Amino acid sequence: MTVEGAIEIKESRQIAGTPWWERNLAWLLVAPTVLMFVVFAVIPAFTTIAYAFSRVRMARGGITREFIGFENFARALQDPLVAQSVTTTVKWMLVVTALEVVLGLLLALLMSSGIRGRGLFTSLLIVPIIMPPVAVSVAWLFMYDYEFGIFNYLLNEVGLPSMRWLSEPAIAIYAMMAVDIWQATPFAFLLLYAALLSLPRDPYEAAAIDGAGRWYVFRTVTLPLLQPVLLVVILLRLIDAARIFDKIFVMTRGGPGSSAYTATLTIYIEGFTKFDFGYASALSFLFQLSLIAAATFYVKRVLADYAQPAE
Amino acid sequence: MVGESRTSLFGRYLLIGIVSLIVLLPVYWMVNMSFKSRAEFVARPPTIVVQGPTTDNYYDLLVTQRFFRYGINSLVVALIAATLSVVVGTLAAYALSRYRLPRNFNYHLLFTMLTVRMFPPIVTVIPIFVIYNRQFFGYRLLDTHIGLGVIDAFTELPFVIWMMIGFFRDIPRDMEDAGLVDGDSRFGVLRKIAIPLAAPGLAATFILVFIASWNEFLLALILTQTKAQTLPIAVASQITQFDIKYGNMMAAGVITSVPVLILALLAQRHLTRGLAVGGVTG
Repeated sequence: MTVEGAIEIKESRQIAGTPWWERNLAWLLVAPTVLMFVVFAVIPAFTTIAYAFSRVRMARGGITREFIGFENFARALQDPLVAQSVTTTVKWMLVVTALEVVLGLLLALLMSSGIRGRGLFTSLLIVPIIMPPVAVSVAWLFMYDYEFGIFNYLLNEVGLPSMRWLSEPAIAIYAMMAVDIWQATPFAFLLLYAALLSLPRDPYEAAAIDGAGRWYVFRTVTLPLLQPVLLVVILLRLIDAARIFDKIFVMTRGGPGSSAYTATLTIYIEGFTKFDFGYASALSFLFQLSLIAAATFYVKRVLADYAQPAE
Repeated sequence: MVGESRTSLFGRYLLIGIVSLIVLLPVYWMVNMSFKSRAEFVARPPTIVVQGPTTDNYYDLLVTQRFFRYGINSLVVALIAATLSVVVGTLAAYALSRYRLPRNFNYHLLFTMLTVRMFPPIVTVIPIFVIYNRQFFGYRLLDTHIGLGVIDAFTELPFVIWMMIGFFRDIPRDMEDAGLVDGDSRFGVLRKIAIPLAAPGLAATFILVFIASWNEFLLALILTQTKAQTLPIAVASQITQFDIKYGNMMAAGVITSVPVLILALLAQRHLTRGLAVGGVTG
C-alpha cells in the first residue's frame, strides 16, 4: 500500500541513537495482529486439514486421532445429506442475493430521486441491519405461528386458509429467506445509495439535454457507472449468505426434518451433535475450498481502489 | 430528475411509506406483543396496540428465569472483544498507514486478514473447540468469557484494521510531523497526537465491534455452555422447550435488541464505511 511520505523502514533504521523498539516500531505494532492470525487462523487451518484425514474421537481430556486417508472425503461425496445441503445453500445464496440486491437498488434509485426525509428513512433502515439475528428470528417465528401468528390471521381475514409457514418443507425455506431479505436488503440499499450519491453529474446532464428517457438513462449511464459497486455488493452478499446459520437454526433447527440444512448447519450437526470431528473437518475443508475463489476475488476488488501494492 | 408530475411524486412517497411499514412491522409487533398479558396474547382479532400493558413477561424473564445473567455474559464478552480488537487493530492500522514495510508486507497483511474475515466461522471452530476443551494449568477456556471474547476479537480484527486505516488517513500529516519535530518518538506521536485525533472513529469502531460480538451466534453456541452463555443463545434455547412461552420470547427479543439499537444510533455516521468489510453482519 502506498502512503504519501510513508516512512521507509530502511531509512528509519539507520538513524543512530534511537532505541531498538523505536527503530522496529512498525513490526512491534503489527506483531499482536500477526500473533492472533497465527493462533486463530493458521493453526486451526492446518489442524482442520489434519482432522479431515483422520478419525477423531473425543477422549478424556482431549481427543484421539487416527489417520484414515481420504475416507472422510469419500463419505462426503456419497452423503445424500451433503448433496442436499449444498443444493439448499446454493439456492439460498442465489435467491436472497438476487432479491436483496434488486430491491436494494430499486430503493436506492427511489431515494436518490429528489425526495425529502432521506435521512430519516436511512436511519430507519439501519434498524434491521443492526438487530441481533436471534431477535429478528424470534419476531418472525411468532408472526409465522400457525395459531397466533399475524400472517395466518390476515389470511383468514381475506377468506384464505391458514398456512404452515415453517412446518411445510416446500414453504419453510422461502419463509426463512424472507426473513433474511428483510434484514439484509437495507444493507444492499445503504451501500448502493452511497454509491449513487457519489456518481458524477455530467453524464446525466448530457443525457437530459439529449432528451433521453429514464429507462434509457438508467441502462446506459447509471448501470455502467454503478457496476463496480454492484459487483462488490453482490459478492459480499453471496459470501455472507453462504454461511447462513442463525436464522434457520433458531426458527426450525434446520427443519422440517432436514429439509433446510445448509452447509454450516450440516457441519454443525456432524461436529457438535454427533461429535464426528473428522468428518465435520473434511466438510469444513471442502466448504472453505469452494468459497476461496469468491473471497480472494472480493478482497482484491475492495483493496484495488484503496491501496495499490507499493512500487 | 426533472419534470415530475404530482402523481408520480405521490406514488413514490406512498412506496416509501409501504417500505417503512414493512421494515417496522416485525419490530413493532415484537415490542407490542412483549407487553401483552397471556389472555391478550391469544386474543382474536389481535390488538394492534396493547390494551392492558404489563411487564409480567419481562419480570418473568429477567427475574424468575434470571436472564440478566446472560445479559451480563453478553456484556462482558462484547467488552473483551471490542477492547482487545480495537487495541490490537489500532496499533496494526497505524503501522500500515504510516510505515512501508519491506516486501509489500502492508498489502499482504491487509489482504490476508480481510480474506480470512470472508470465510465462514464454522470452518475454524472445530480445532478451536478442541483446544479450548483441553486443560492448561488446570484451566479450560471452553465456556469462559475470555475464551469467546478473544475469538470474537479476532473475527472483528480485520474490520478494526480497515476502519482505523481510514481514520488515520484522515489525520493531517503536518500535525504528526510537528510532534516529531518537537522531539516526540513515533510511539509518542501515536499516543499523544494520532489516537486523540482519531478518537471519534475509534469510539465508533469500538461500538460496531461491540454490536457484532453481542449479536454473534454460532461461536457463542459452540464455545459456551452454561457459565458464559450469551443472550442470543439463551433466547434460542428457550425455543426447544415443549411449550414456547411466546410472551417471554418477545420480551427476550426486545431486551437483546435495545442495547445494540442505542449503540448503533451513536455510531450511525460511520456505519456505511464498515459495511463493506462485513463489520456488522454475519
